[in-house]
Amino acid sequence: MRLMHTKIPMIACRTLCALFMGLGFAAAQVPDHPDELQFPRLDFEPPMSAEFLHDLDGIPVYLAPSSEWPLIDLTFTFKGGAFLEEPDEVGLGSSLGVMMRRGGSARTSAEELDERFDFLAANVSTTVGSDRSSASLNCLESNFSEAFGLFMEMVREPGFDAERLRVHLDERVEAFRQRNDNPMSVAFPRMQRLVYGDDHYLAREPTLDTVGAIDGDSLRALHRRIFHPGNLVISATGDFQPAQLLDALRSALDGWQVGESVGDPPAPVHVTKSGLYHTETSQKDLPQGTTMIFARGIQRDHPDAIALTVMNDILGGGGFTSRVTNRVRSDEGLAYTAVTLMRPQVYFPGIFAGFYQSKNPTVALAAKIIMEEIERIRSEQVTAEELERTKNGFIEQFPQRFASKSGMLSTFVSDHLTGRDPNYWRTYREKVAAVDQGDVQRVAREHLDPTNMSILVVGDWDAIEGGDLEGRANMSEFGEVEHLPMLDPLTREPEGERTPTGP
Amino acid sequence: MRELLLALTVAALLGATSAAQNLEVRELVLDNGMTWLLVPRTEEPNTVSAGWVAKVGSVDERPGITGISHFFEHMMFKGTTTIGTRDPAADAELMDRQHAVKARINELVWGQQYDRYKRGEIDDPWDPENDTAELRELRAELGELMEAHRETIVKNEFDSIYTNEGGSGMNAFTSEDMTFYFINVPSNKFELWCWMESDRLDDSVFREFYAERDVVHEERRMRLESSPTGELDEQFDAMFWMSSPYSWSPIGWPSDLNSYTREDFDAYFDVYYRPNNLVGVVVGDFDPDVAVPMIESYFGRLERGPVTPPPVVTTEMPQVAERRMIGDCECQPQVEVRYHTVPFNHADSFPLEIMAEVLNGRTGRLYKGLVEGAEIASSARAGTDHRKHAGYFSFSARVKGDAGPDELEAAWYDELQRLQDEPVSPEELEKVQNQVAADSFRSLQSNGFIRLQLGFFAASGGWRYINEAPGRLRAVTVDDIQRVANTYFDRTNRNVASYTRRAGSAPDDGLASLPPEAQAQVKMMLQQFEQLQDVAQLEEIVGRIESGLSSMPEQKRPAMDYVVEKTKERIERLRSEESEG
Repeated sequence: MRLMHTKIPMIACRTLCALFMGLGFAAAQVPDHPDELQFPRLDFEPPMSAEFLHDLDGIPVYLAPSSEWPLIDLTFTFKGGAFLEEPDEVGLGSSLGVMMRRGGSARTSAEELDERFDFLAANVSTTVGSDRSSASLNCLESNFSEAFGLFMEMVREPGFDAERLRVHLDERVEAFRQRNDNPMSVAFPRMQRLVYGDDHYLAREPTLDTVGAIDGDSLRALHRRIFHPGNLVISATGDFQPAQLLDALRSALDGWQVGESVGDPPAPVHVTKSGLYHTETSQKDLPQGTTMIFARGIQRDHPDAIALTVMNDILGGGGFTSRVTNRVRSDEGLAYTAVTLMRPQVYFPGIFAGFYQSKNPTVALAAKIIMEEIERIRSEQVTAEELERTKNGFIEQFPQRFASKSGMLSTFVSDHLTGRDPNYWRTYREKVAAVDQGDVQRVAREHLDPTNMSILVVGDWDAIEGGDLEGRANMSEFGEVEHLPMLDPLTREPEGERTPTGP
Repeated sequence: MRELLLALTVAALLGATSAAQNLEVRELVLDNGMTWLLVPRTEEPNTVSAGWVAKVGSVDERPGITGISHFFEHMMFKGTTTIGTRDPAADAELMDRQHAVKARINELVWGQQYDRYKRGEIDDPWDPENDTAELRELRAELGELMEAHRETIVKNEFDSIYTNEGGSGMNAFTSEDMTFYFINVPSNKFELWCWMESDRLDDSVFREFYAERDVVHEERRMRLESSPTGELDEQFDAMFWMSSPYSWSPIGWPSDLNSYTREDFDAYFDVYYRPNNLVGVVVGDFDPDVAVPMIESYFGRLERGPVTPPPVVTTEMPQVAERRMIGDCECQPQVEVRYHTVPFNHADSFPLEIMAEVLNGRTGRLYKGLVEGAEIASSARAGTDHRKHAGYFSFSARVKGDAGPDELEAAWYDELQRLQDEPVSPEELEKVQNQVAADSFRSLQSNGFIRLQLGFFAASGGWRYINEAPGRLRAVTVDDIQRVANTYFDRTNRNVASYTRRAGSAPDDGLASLPPEAQAQVKMMLQQFEQLQDVAQLEEIVGRIESGLSSMPEQKRPAMDYVVEKTKERIERLRSEESEG
């Protein structure tokens, strides 16, 4: 093992210098318009991940010490997650995440481990996500040694206490029962199913059967595949000396067998069938329709990704300055939230989606406005002013991504695990600046096809269908609706046919 | 002896100091009364988290204008004479005309429509479906004026300017006690923030008033009416607070939301949005020697208000009898038990908070007792809410399996009894105290969170709480906890909300009450039987299972009973199909 770099970048100094240079601008008088303000220059170069990277016998370790408060924050991130589950063990991953923390270790009972962590005021968490997993420890520097020892026991040899597992599985069943109660918790999984297909790991949902099959053996098997040094990236910030922490890590990792590194998650095979869909929640008389307008999007490293992000920001991703929010919310008062989202995936194309909740009679009108805006951004160039504002926003906000040490480290770790070019951020602002009006229109035309969009409405169809009092829009304009039966909260099997609620 | 004592005291003090955090805050009060809290912090370079809080919230409202604080917050993003319009003169004229039409609408609704409503002729005086011909015309006229107004409006220019300069995370929130506006700006753009915020405090123009009111109606539908327990929770609050103006939620009653007038707005602004009622908070990468002169020249131009904001004089009436609310919803059965306690920074608020922490967490008494022990709850927690003028302590839990909310309630009274009868163990207290110490540092790890706490505490009663509270929490003794447990938790001081799942929205409970492994087994068996169409064969299977039941282990019987029951139902169905066919 060797220290690759020990240099701490002088970001803080640079900023202060910039501010001091700006002293001459200190406000002697108040200008009439903010356009007249002159700002001191802020020179910023993004920190390079290599400056923080150490190599611990092949395990990458990112360290960013800080002596502000006597705390240490340590995270182990592993490639691998729910995508490794077999179809009959859906939900195993998230139970593994919970049970590692709750189930004790091979040497310490579950109860003792909890008591000790709590007594040491150590915040310890473990999670298994869809394609990445983690274990983290945050505690006072003075308690680090003992807390870290227990943390390593838990990560390397979790106990999966049987009684704790039983209680946890019962809790999951209780949570299942609430899956149809809330419009958002119905709409989002349903959209995932329609986009990725019922069987894809981003869409499939645990049921009584799959959760009932979880036991100590299956948890141990998945733990062995994910939680080993072959999948691991370590990061830490807080009150420590890098050399000392690396020593502590080295001895703690000693003898931990390196398993086979997991591969990339599978791409969905499902072909999204566009259409108008409706489903409902357990509450039949909802006052609002929760609506998603969606299609397959792009992959993170697609050459159009930055131009599409800019396009989406102008269309509906940029909050109050975006077109969809302006028209649906500010002009018409039809929704509190009305946005579009571009959610690229690393390993395969992700989702583009518009989202809003509006009172039943104006669900159709809001959908119509969003479809008009999608059509408009394809058929006309955005204004130079819109484009400049959006690009400036991205460029000016850029330093914030690296402002907090924990935020910076999580960017580095994520890039490391997903194999992003470390130079990506160095030229990020140039790439944003290069997007022009023609690019925005071109990527909108290539990636947003209104004839290929689906609409999913969750709510009281009979109150939504007919549209608004003034007759500005109704749902039949979007084609024939397919009513999707509610899914049984426990089995996720389709429930009975929809019963109309009356006139 | 004396020396030993002294040595012990010094050691204890040193121990306490070494574990205590102290956030250095520079406090500044301008001549117009506006208070400033400044925390230069270079740990997050190149960015500044700035904000200001108006010490006003729904507690300062009255029936007729409930929700106005929150609506006001929305309107503060609509611009000023300089920002947000192409033609200030036309802008003002169009707004005057809209308000005049709306005043006429209000007059008709409050008069005729409310009368028709009271006589039972219409179900909602505000619903456009119930409009008279005159109202319909007026509403159309208002719509046309709003449409015309759009021509002169520069849409969301306030937001655009910030976005263009790299502002991020711009938002605001309204609570019972405060209205807080905040944003992060690049550290070289602090002057922009001073310009924008002092401009809107000096000269806000509330354009798009009526479209924004509809947005707030949608917000209400989303937050309260579309949430499984939203409306019940709102009414539980209203039951809990009898005389206190905490009785209504910050979003207000819908009939009030429809009724605000421009006069209400002007009066509200003059009282509550003047510098003497505001606190600015700046945290991040800035130099106070540069920032303070900017603050003075920009915010110093705001005029002190004509009156001092009136105090909230109505105190909560002491409760004289237990109150209960029994509801049903499309939700997990659940219970909340809530008691009136004390306001922010009250001496007893500290032991009450420690008491809640003894109950909470994975090693807390509620999880161990109700979730893991008795296995009647899927979640359980204690909470405190110490607001500016009054506070409460609450227990809340959701059921597990077949347990009912009443069982959770009874289990809570047992836990409470234990706190009243026995002092908590020194180990439990020490554990919580250690967590208080660690959390006091954790809470100071980000600019945004420091800003939020300083503003929040300043509006609740004093920002120094951020440095003083950890010490006061660490001074709490086991006796203090037992004393407060015996002070605030009488039956006459309690309010209970008990919700059960509405009939017809429940999942199949027979199956769900079985352990997950058994559920999987049962489902597999039933699926296999599903393949069989022969009634005789099915009856034979049922018979075999039933005859084996008595020799089966006790814990397996419920699962088999369920299989038998379901299979018999299926036999019945097959029979009736046969007879119909």
